[in-house]
Amino acid sequence: MSSITLTSSDGIEMSVDRTTAERSVLIKNMLDDLGDSGDAVPLPNVNEAVLKKVIEWCEHHKNDPPSASDDDDNRRKTTDIDEWDQKFMQVDQEMLFEIILAANYLDIKALLDVGCKTVANMIKGKSPEEIRKTFNIQNDFTPEEEDQIRRENEWAEDR
Amino acid sequence: MLNLDGGIDMKAYMGLYTAVHNFCTSQKAVSTGQGLQQGQRGGVSPPTVGSSTTQYGLGLTWMQAHLLGEELYKLLGEYLSRHLSDVFDKSQTHTEEGLLGFYIREWERYTTAAKYVNHIFKYLNRHWVKREIDEGKKNVYDVYTLHLVRWKDDFFENVHEKVMDAVLSLIEKQRNGETIEQSQIKSIVDSFVSLGLDENDSSKSTLDVYRKYFQDPFIDATKVYYENESRQFVAENSVVEYMKKAEARLDEEKARVGLYLHPDVTKGLTDTCLAVLVTAHSTLLRDEFQVLLDNERQEDLARMYRLLSRIKDGLDPLRTTFENHVRRAGLAAVEKVATDGENFEPKLYVDALLQVHTRYQNLVDDAFNGESEFVRSLDNACREFVNRNRICKTSSSKSPELLAKYTDSLLKKGSKSAEESELEEMLVQIMTVFKYIEDKDVFQKFYSKNLAKRLVHVSSVSDDAETSMISKLKEACGFEYTNKLQRMFQDMQISKDLNNNYKDWQDKVLDDDDRKRMADAHFQILGTGFWPLNAPTTPFLAPPEIVKTAERFQKFYFDKHNGRKLTWLWQLCKGEIKANYIKNAKVPYTFQVSTYQMGILLLFNETDTLTYSEIEKATTLTNEILDPNLSILLKAKVLIANPEGAKPEPSTAFTLNYNFKNKKVKVNLNIQIKSEQKVEADDTHKTIEEDRKLLLQSAIVRIMKSRKKMKHVQLVQEVIQQVKSRFPPKIPDIKKNIEALMEKDYIERMDGDEISYIA
Repeated sequence: MSSITLTSSDGIEMSVDRTTAERSVLIKNMLDDLGDSGDAVPLPNVNEAVLKKVIEWCEHHKNDPPSASDDDDNRRKTTDIDEWDQKFMQVDQEMLFEIILAANYLDIKALLDVGCKTVANMIKGKSPEEIRKTFNIQNDFTPEEEDQIRRENEWAEDR
Repeated sequence: MLNLDGGIDMKAYMGLYTAVHNFCTSQKAVSTGQGLQQGQRGGVSPPTVGSSTTQYGLGLTWMQAHLLGEELYKLLGEYLSRHLSDVFDKSQTHTEEGLLGFYIREWERYTTAAKYVNHIFKYLNRHWVKREIDEGKKNVYDVYTLHLVRWKDDFFENVHEKVMDAVLSLIEKQRNGETIEQSQIKSIVDSFVSLGLDENDSSKSTLDVYRKYFQDPFIDATKVYYENESRQFVAENSVVEYMKKAEARLDEEKARVGLYLHPDVTKGLTDTCLAVLVTAHSTLLRDEFQVLLDNERQEDLARMYRLLSRIKDGLDPLRTTFENHVRRAGLAAVEKVATDGENFEPKLYVDALLQVHTRYQNLVDDAFNGESEFVRSLDNACREFVNRNRICKTSSSKSPELLAKYTDSLLKKGSKSAEESELEEMLVQIMTVFKYIEDKDVFQKFYSKNLAKRLVHVSSVSDDAETSMISKLKEACGFEYTNKLQRMFQDMQISKDLNNNYKDWQDKVLDDDDRKRMADAHFQILGTGFWPLNAPTTPFLAPPEIVKTAERFQKFYFDKHNGRKLTWLWQLCKGEIKANYIKNAKVPYTFQVSTYQMGILLLFNETDTLTYSEIEKATTLTNEILDPNLSILLKAKVLIANPEGAKPEPSTAFTLNYNFKNKKVKVNLNIQIKSEQKVEADDTHKTIEEDRKLLLQSAIVRIMKSRKKMKHVQLVQEVIQQVKSRFPPKIPDIKKNIEALMEKDYIERMDGDEISYIA
């Protein structure tokens, strides 16, 4: 099994299996287009810590069947996350968002989904005030705006 | 920015991808929602967690209606347009095959690049483009498709005519027999096909572009080419040669599709070629059909069939011509047989019919692919000439009569009987003719008469052959048609057993004295309803020797079957008598005689000379029977007339000829009398009329019984349906029989032309 080298934004090189790396559609397409020249693949948007995390995830999931099509709504809609992924995502909030960004950049759909689901689970069942607290968000709405939004979204309220 | 000429390395690739990604995720644009941001922010911008989720550009909140990318997308499109206008300028210097080469080279380079760029712009595709398309925006495509759209609008639209001109002149060269580089055309076809995009869903492709810009001009050119070629060829060559040419051309064009065209063209191309090569010349071809038939040009007929079978209604006129031709051939063959008047062997006639059928059956199979419509034409023609020809002129029942006679000649012992397999073959052929016979009831009549004779006289060639023939008839006409024939066979078997029982009975009952004087006899008991046999037409006083034997058998039979009636069919009986009176014979002659002849000859045991009236009185035979039988005996010189040479008439006397001489020891005097044969045939025809009346009436009653009420017209139709497998009924006959049944109160007339059944 061939392996390739990835370079993080902070210049750290990491060697991974090609199959593992190809969980990233970006890397897969590039290798398909250019062929494996043996050069390190520069990833200017991902730092070492995050890249390690991402590689760990890819390593674990490298033999997953190719992710189903975009329209696989069932899989996407549930917020169920498998046990390993739940554990994997037990990181601080900053790392969590870094992983999500990296997954988006590297085009690793399944990881992006897991990340977003994790965030969704953090929001689920919380009031706006609690959510603001959780993510440390400042309320920048005027009371009038807030009122309007509430009215517009009345249908979604839990009753 | 996209310098693909020199390839691209990993660093540049990743750099570009990252640039696109970062441009699309840059947050400044989000707040304003417009304006070109600097694409390359360089490096990573660590997100400040906790301020607002909108920062991440993930489309997670409802507030973010805009994704970035429009500007980038627009610029990419403009860049491509510039590139393509450049390509177009360069293309101007190329023509013909050179232009094709240029087009293909540029196309391949462009599409390869498009694949790279599509991947590099993947982020744009995944977010901005996807959103635009989801929102139903027209004219936004994924980046690869954008390349195709630009190619089509900015380059293809300007060059397709010239490119197609080059393609078409290349194909024309090939049609003229030159070798060309087919792969070039294949590449052009593939390119045109790729440019077909579905207006509503750009992820799907259509063949619209290919059809409009390639297929249509190609088909037009094909049409013109073959119009010219065929016109010229027909003018200079025979029709037969033209057919070969046309067939070869059709094959060539079919192969062309497989070589380098898109399969979608197949139908259009084939239709066009057929229209120009076949339909346009169909009259010419058809005119040749009769000529080919006359000369039996099977191969050319097959070719014509193949060509015309491929166009709509192409074969219909041929079928009519073919049908007429076969009918004429059949009539001519019969005409030949009939040249010598009525005296021809039935075999000659049947063979003539068969020969024509076989010849054209083979033609239909070999040249016309056994096609069912041609088979039908053949059947129609055969039915015509089998039932309506010169020999049938006097009566349509002549054909079945002759066929039945021929069958009889095959199944009767003594004919130059064929091998068993050969005989079977001939029976099959008889069935071929039988199939066309309309008056099947006539055949049945004659056949059963002949069969009866064969059975009674034990002159069948073989039981197997008889059974085989009957099963064939059963298969063709059903159980009812052969029911009586089978019963006749059963009677023969029963009679055989009965005779054995009778022998056993005799052994027990008779004493030696009886046995000495007894005539050795064999009896056949034939059911009146099944056998087409009539009681004797003359009274007959059987000689005492026979009467005794007959009475003894009757006694035995009535013991077994009480209440049955036996009628002796003397006219069918025969026997052998030994002439012990002839002195100069070492071995006594044996005369094979009919019972009537026996009755006459046995009278001479008492006296040597008898007068006509004495014989008449002793036998009670009518003149019609007595005279010809006496004639036979005179002719064979068993009896001598007095005065010498006199005919059998009341003034004649008959003396036994003691000096009788013959080469054979066994002398057959039981010769069928000519006039009898004719009378018999006439009788048969008469019974047919009678039977048809019954058949019609029973059909009418059967139908009315099940339907209860019916319109007159419908009833007539229904009767025709039921009866036509036996004979073609005439409508006046049906009406007459309906009237007859009304008189007999089976059915009655109601209001409104309706008839009802009286239970």
